[in-house]
Amino acid sequence: MYNVPAWLRYNFAMPLSRMTCPSCGADLVYDSHEAVKGPDGTAICPYRGRGNPELRAAHDLIYFGKWRKMDATTADIRRAYNQIGRHLKAIGRILETKDLPAAKRDLGKAVEAHHAGDPAGESPDALRFMDHALSYAHMAIDGLLHEEGLPPHDPMEFSKWYDAVEVPFKEEW
Amino acid sequence: MITLNRYPREIMLRDGARLTLRPMGREDADRLWEFFCRILPEDKMYFRVDVDRKEMVERWAEHLDYDSVLPILALEEDRVVGDATLHRNKTGWKQRVGTVRIQIAPDFRQRGLGMSMIREMRHLGEKAALHYLMAEAIEEQQPAIRAFEKMGFERVGVYRNFVNDQKGALHNLVVLLYHMAYSEEGMSF
Repeated sequence: MYNVPAWLRYNFAMPLSRMTCPSCGADLVYDSHEAVKGPDGTAICPYRGRGNPELRAAHDLIYFGKWRKMDATTADIRRAYNQIGRHLKAIGRILETKDLPAAKRDLGKAVEAHHAGDPAGESPDALRFMDHALSYAHMAIDGLLHEEGLPPHDPMEFSKWYDAVEVPFKEEW
Repeated sequence: MITLNRYPREIMLRDGARLTLRPMGREDADRLWEFFCRILPEDKMYFRVDVDRKEMVERWAEHLDYDSVLPILALEEDRVVGDATLHRNKTGWKQRVGTVRIQIAPDFRQRGLGMSMIREMRHLGEKAALHYLMAEAIEEQQPAIRAFEKMGFERVGVYRNFVNDQKGALHNLVVLLYHMAYSEEGMSF
């Protein structure tokens, strides 16, 4: 075992904790030492109180998913493809009731890319199209958030809840 | 005609700054002039008109015609921090093409305001039933070009040594287009 100073309140042998948010459905993996906790001692879902938490959580689950890693299996990619399809349908259900043609257009492009990226077709570009679909879905979510006066969704803000390695992101303009 | 009943709108940037978006009015001439005064000289070199002349801004405010040029201001309290304009032709072969121009105050760059303004222009373009939005940028304005591309604009051409700055030096002009090809009816998910 490591000889950890007591003030760190840390045990390196401690495994990561898991939680599925009953409200937004976020499937989270996190360091229980760092999580914000409610009065009952349980971790508070990071999406709580944010606009469109279900869409954000669903996006990030796919964004940080295994399908993008080098060791992804065919099953991981197929699962991600299906997740993207469900995610697009969920965005569509919300957009149906809104007068947001630009966001609908983004979703239309996402659906188009999703169709083109069916891994069953064994296209060498399937992963690229899936990535495009997720990217356009993100734009559609940002369109919804913009309409509510909220800043765009930044998945990296939630990366530690998915045991993800940080990737550079910078708003330039 | 675009209905403007969505304004004024409140938006929040990623860092928590709260801004108001609304169309420019006649009473905004001084605010806009102060905004242009704060733009860095190296950025002003690329302006199409000499905004150092206050009468240019005053004349613009006096002759506002939203059907030709719709200026949307971003304000932090009473101060203009961003200006986006949608230029349209009422008749002729470009009546379905809108041109977008955006200026952001130096202290509001890299905070996501430019992206928000592009998003706002896209919404207005859709409501105006335009087929294309066009944006132009000097090749050196890479952050702006990347922001447009991120929002779905495609780089369709580069004109070499096409435009000159206010000191006379030539620059490449990048043309970006946002194609609004999908019909509302075809959008079923």
